[in-house]
Amino acid sequence: MVQTHRCEDHETVGENKEKRPKFFINDHVDILIEILKRLDGRSLCVAASVCRLWCTIARNDSLWENLCFRHVSPPPSSVRSVVLALGGYKRLYTGCVRPVRSRLGRMRKASWARDEVQLSLSLFCVDYYERLGGSNSNGRLVGESSPSSLMFLCKPVNV
Amino acid sequence: MLRYDSTSSSAGSSSGSLSSSSSSSKPPQQDIDGLLAGAGYKVRSSELRQVAQRLERLETAMGNSPADFSQLASDAILYNPSDLACWVDSLLTEFAEPPPTCSSDFIVDPVNNQTVVNSAWTAAEPHTPQVHQNITYDEQQSLDNQLTVVTAMEEDSGIRLVHMLMTCAECVQSGDLSLATSLIDDMQGLLTHVNTVCGIGKVAGHFIDALSRRIFQGMGGGSVNGGSAFENEILYHHFYEACPYLKFAHFTANQAILEAFDGHDCVHVVDFNLMHGLQWPALIQALALRPGGPPLLRLTGIGPPSPDGRDSLREIGLRLAELARSVNVRFAFRGVAASRLEDVKPWMLQVNPKEAVAVNSIMQLHRLLGSEQTRNSPIDTVLSWIRGLNPKIMTVVEQEANHNQPGFLDRFTEALYYYSTMFDSLEACRVQPEKALAEIYIQREIGNVVSCEGSARVERHEPLAKWRRRLSGAGFRALHLGSNAFKQASMLLTLFSAEGYSVEENEGCLRLGWHSSPLIAASAWQAVPAWDNHMSSS
Repeated sequence: MVQTHRCEDHETVGENKEKRPKFFINDHVDILIEILKRLDGRSLCVAASVCRLWCTIARNDSLWENLCFRHVSPPPSSVRSVVLALGGYKRLYTGCVRPVRSRLGRMRKASWARDEVQLSLSLFCVDYYERLGGSNSNGRLVGESSPSSLMFLCKPVNV
Repeated sequence: MLRYDSTSSSAGSSSGSLSSSSSSSKPPQQDIDGLLAGAGYKVRSSELRQVAQRLERLETAMGNSPADFSQLASDAILYNPSDLACWVDSLLTEFAEPPPTCSSDFIVDPVNNQTVVNSAWTAAEPHTPQVHQNITYDEQQSLDNQLTVVTAMEEDSGIRLVHMLMTCAECVQSGDLSLATSLIDDMQGLLTHVNTVCGIGKVAGHFIDALSRRIFQGMGGGSVNGGSAFENEILYHHFYEACPYLKFAHFTANQAILEAFDGHDCVHVVDFNLMHGLQWPALIQALALRPGGPPLLRLTGIGPPSPDGRDSLREIGLRLAELARSVNVRFAFRGVAASRLEDVKPWMLQVNPKEAVAVNSIMQLHRLLGSEQTRNSPIDTVLSWIRGLNPKIMTVVEQEANHNQPGFLDRFTEALYYYSTMFDSLEACRVQPEKALAEIYIQREIGNVVSCEGSARVERHEPLAKWRRRLSGAGFRALHLGSNAFKQASMLLTLFSAEGYSVEENEGCLRLGWHSSPLIAASAWQAVPAWDNHMSSS
C-alpha cells in the first residue's frame, strides 16, 4: 500500500515536471491515519521511517491499539488505562502480542483470538513488574539480571 | 594403495556407467574447482558437496578415536593427497568406517539408474543434475546412518551408566558401602566416554555426585541447600524463565483464584512462598480488568527471613503495591517471615472473616511431610488451620513424582526417571544463562532427594493421587479447574519453543508433562463446610 502511494507521486511527477502533483497524501493527514491504521505491525514500523510526519503518526499509540485488537471485538474501556499504565500499546504489541500471535499461528483457532490478547496482557504485566524491579535503587533484589520473563518469546523458535 | 583402488572399483562395480566419469584414471579436466586448484587441491566441482561431508565425518571419526589417529599419522601411506576426494575416502576407511556407506553413495535407484546410464552415455556432460539428486538423497541417508553408528556407542555407555547407578543405589540401601564406593569410581570413569553436555550423561553426573555425597557424609548428611535464601531466589527465578513449569503453575492457580473471587469485593490471598512475587502481577492485572471493577486485594506473603537486615518481603510488597497503584487496584501487603511453614500460625495472617480467602501453595506442602505418619505431624497441623480459615479456594501445585517412599532404591529409581525427563525438557531451552542456573536449581533438588535424610530431606514429593487422598481426608473437596484454565495452559505451552510439552486434564486437575510423562500437577480445593471434628484425627 505504501508503495502504491509512492508510485502515484512518481508518475505524476514524471509525467508533468512543470505541474505540482494534484494529490499529496501528507496534506490529508486524516486519510493517512485511516490508511496507516490498517497496516500490519511490520509495515507500520517501515512506514515510520518514511518521513517525519509519518513517523509522528506511526508512533501514536492508538494505531497500535488498533493492531492489538484488530481481530477481536472491542475490549472494555478499562483495558486502555491498564495498558497505558503498563507501558503502552506499541510495547504491548511488539513485546507480547506479535510473538504470541506468530507462535500460536500454527495452531490457531478462531476462538483463541481474545484469549491470545489476554495472555499477552498477562505476560506484559509480568514484564512491567520486572522492569519495576530493575529501575529500583534496590535493583540488587533480583540480582543483576535485567527483566527477562519475556525472553522465551524473543528467542528464535527452534522447531 | 590397495584401498585406494578398491574404493574406486567398488564405485565402479555398483554403477558401471559412473565409473567412466569418476575413475581416477582419466579425470575430466573441465570439472576441477578453480579456487581449490589454486591452493593445490584437485577436487571436482560436482563432488565438492560430497567431499565436504566426508571431511566432516573424518573430523568426527578423528575426534571419537584419538588413539587410531596417532597410529594413522605414523603408519599410513597415502598416495596423491592433492586428490582430496580420494584422500578423504582412504582416511575414512582407515578409521574403519563401515565401507557400505561409501558405495551406497553410488547406489542409485534402479529406476533412475536407467536414465542416468542413458544420459551419461548419450550426453557428453560428466554429471547430469539427476545424478546429483540421487547422490544427495542417498548421501543424506548414509550420513544419517553414520550418525546413528556414533550415537549407538554412546547409548551403550549411557545404558551401562544407568545400570551401574541402580546397582550402586542398591548397595547403599543394603549398606554395602565399599562396593558402592568402587562403583562410584567406575561410573565417574564411564562418564568420560559419554557426552555430559546433554542427555543421560548430564543427569547421571548429578546423580553420581548425590550418591557419593550420601556415602561419604553418612546418613542424615549435611543439607544440600547450603545456599542462602538470596541464592535460592535467584535460582528459582531462572528456573521460572527457562521452562514453563512455574509459569504454568502461576497462570493456572491465578485463573482458579480469579474465578473463585468472582463477586467478592474484599479478597485476601495467602502465598506460602512469595519469592519474587512473580505470580501476582498477572492476578492484579486480571482483577483490574474484571467486569464490575477490581476488589480490595490483600496479599500475605510468607517467606524465609532475610539474613542481612534487608526486608526482602517488604521490598517485594512495595513493588507489587506500585504495580497495583498503576492499574488502580486497592492493594495491601503483609509479609510473614518464617523459615519453616509449620512455624506459621493462623493469627499471623490476620484474616478478616468477611473477606474471601485464597490459599496458594506452589510446591510447598510436600516440605511438611515427614517419613513417619504420626498424628499431629506438621502437614496435619497446617491443613487443619487452613481449613479453619475457610478459604474460598486453595490452589495446590506439586511435583508429580513419588519421591517420599521409605525404601531408598525405589526413591532413587523414581527420581532418576523423573529428573531425566525434566532435563530432557530443559534441553529445548535456548536461553542462557537461565538454562544453566535452572539446572543448578534442579541439581539441588536431586541432591536433597538422594543424599539427605530425616529433617534435612525436604523434597518429599508425592503424586497427585496421594495428595487427593490426603486432602480429602483432611476435610477438603476438589474443585474442577475449568476449561479456561486448560485453554490458557495449552496456549502458554505452545508459546514455548519446544514441542514436547503436553497438558492433560485429570478429574478436574491439570498436569503438565514432557512427552506424556507428567511432571507437575495443579489442583484446586475447597473446605468441606460441615465437618465432624472427631473424624479428622483418624
